[in-house]
Amino acid sequence: MEDIKKAILDFAETSKKTKFYFNDMEKAVKKVMPDIKAREIKKAATALVNEEKLVFFSTGSTTMYGMKGRGQTEDH
Amino acid sequence: MAFEPREPQKELKYQDLRIYSDQELKNYTEEELKNFKIKHKTPMCDELEKGPWPSFVADTKREALHRKKLSGDRLMVNSDVAEDLLGQLERSFKDGETHWKHGGIVGVFGYGGGVIGRYSDSPEEYPSIAHFHTLRVNQPASKFYSSDYLRSICDLWEYRGSGLMNLHGSTGDIIFLGTTTEQLEPIFYELGHVLQQDLGGSGSNLRTPSCCIGRARCEWSCYDTQAMCYELTHYYQDELHRPAFPYKFKFKFDGCPNCCVASIARADMSFIGTWRDNIRIDQDAVKAYVEGDIAPNAGAHAGKDWGKFDIQKEVIDLCPTRCMWMEDGKLMIDDKECTRCMHCINVMPRALRPGADTGVSILFGAKAPILEGAQMSLLTIPFMKVEHPYDNVKAIVDKCWDWWMEEGKNRERLGELIQRYGVPKFLEIMELPPMPQMVREPRSNPYIFWKEEDVPGGFTRSIDDYRKRHKR
Repeated sequence: MEDIKKAILDFAETSKKTKFYFNDMEKAVKKVMPDIKAREIKKAATALVNEEKLVFFSTGSTTMYGMKGRGQTEDH
Repeated sequence: MAFEPREPQKELKYQDLRIYSDQELKNYTEEELKNFKIKHKTPMCDELEKGPWPSFVADTKREALHRKKLSGDRLMVNSDVAEDLLGQLERSFKDGETHWKHGGIVGVFGYGGGVIGRYSDSPEEYPSIAHFHTLRVNQPASKFYSSDYLRSICDLWEYRGSGLMNLHGSTGDIIFLGTTTEQLEPIFYELGHVLQQDLGGSGSNLRTPSCCIGRARCEWSCYDTQAMCYELTHYYQDELHRPAFPYKFKFKFDGCPNCCVASIARADMSFIGTWRDNIRIDQDAVKAYVEGDIAPNAGAHAGKDWGKFDIQKEVIDLCPTRCMWMEDGKLMIDDKECTRCMHCINVMPRALRPGADTGVSILFGAKAPILEGAQMSLLTIPFMKVEHPYDNVKAIVDKCWDWWMEEGKNRERLGELIQRYGVPKFLEIMELPPMPQMVREPRSNPYIFWKEEDVPGGFTRSIDDYRKRHKR
């Protein structure tokens, strides 16, 4: 779990876009850990949200993830 | 099996939960409403109050007056929120463009859905709607409420929100329209811990599952839609609240092919009740309909004299597969040709009933987009028995999600993925054999792409052998 979290944070810190889809995060993690299952990545991402390191960004129809403090940080 | 809630439920009593007194709830007269003017000029919105139909503008003005007359310490959101809302709407009509900014990092702790951030792009002019976030509240199965429950959530929303709500959004949720960021967590706490009420789905989540009234009141329901909706809502809590899908995903549960929650048109996975034996016929009741002793359509359409009931014209000739006829005064049905259109059962409910061997048909891939037109779902599993704990259904759901999460592009619905890859690929993933029921028009287009391994002997054959039997 800690390895996945690290891979997610590495991606979230360095990705070109400050908000990204789960799919893109999944691809980035799978590059480092090819055998990992999507469900495991989701669990790690949820843990990071609960630790307040990642945030959800929702348009209402679609949801993206972002690194807390990176890009849009205020309410709007 | 009788329904059992997962956790003990306490009975909600409005008297214990209420925030406002009766005087505060009825704090204006109709005369005052007539003379009430909101703080913005809204001639175009006012046009929408004309005509015989109900108007959201009239309702919003009522709410504006009601809030104006409540004292400030009885509201956590500005009292003129409804007035600013109409003011901004008027300006949008005038400008021909929206003044909402949509989306953002608002939510409640641990949830990726249920809250939709909304902000005004003109907060100087309309300060009370600078934040105007939407909350989706997971409606109870079949939207069964007690008035105690409804009054309690209305009081909560008046106190911590704008007091404006939609009953219901198109996915079925109760929609709370407009509150500020700092009110989100208190509302979530009150809903969860006091009212035993969860938020619904939004974003790239499983959306709030929705079901028809089912066996609670409908004799046609072929399975317990409420029980299945409840079980799958609880079982897939993580998918409902923590987004990891390429886009939205909807379950809808219809008890019979009348499809009262329109699952066939709007759900990525539609469960439609059906039967695999024969329509049950009470020939005495058929006779009573024919002789005019029982009103057809259970007495509906009675506002006009449609003449004597004609079973040939109104039932038999309207059967889409022509599988009904009268013989010696008896109604006959060739059930293997029946496509479950429900018309005959709807017209003569006392004479005809769905069969007794019931279950569900499962369809995939509907969506109701605004731009490209509706896509109906694809009948994939013609019949399946469903009973608590629905393990057979969960296995299918998991298989389908694994594929969609792996292959689906961002913002691609399951129906679009099936279109992109083709139905044969989808069937391979679902480990299902092709069946005539899957073909949209089996009577005019029975074409199936066979794979070599599916055909006995493969594709290699001797043309000479064939020509022995079929001359040129």
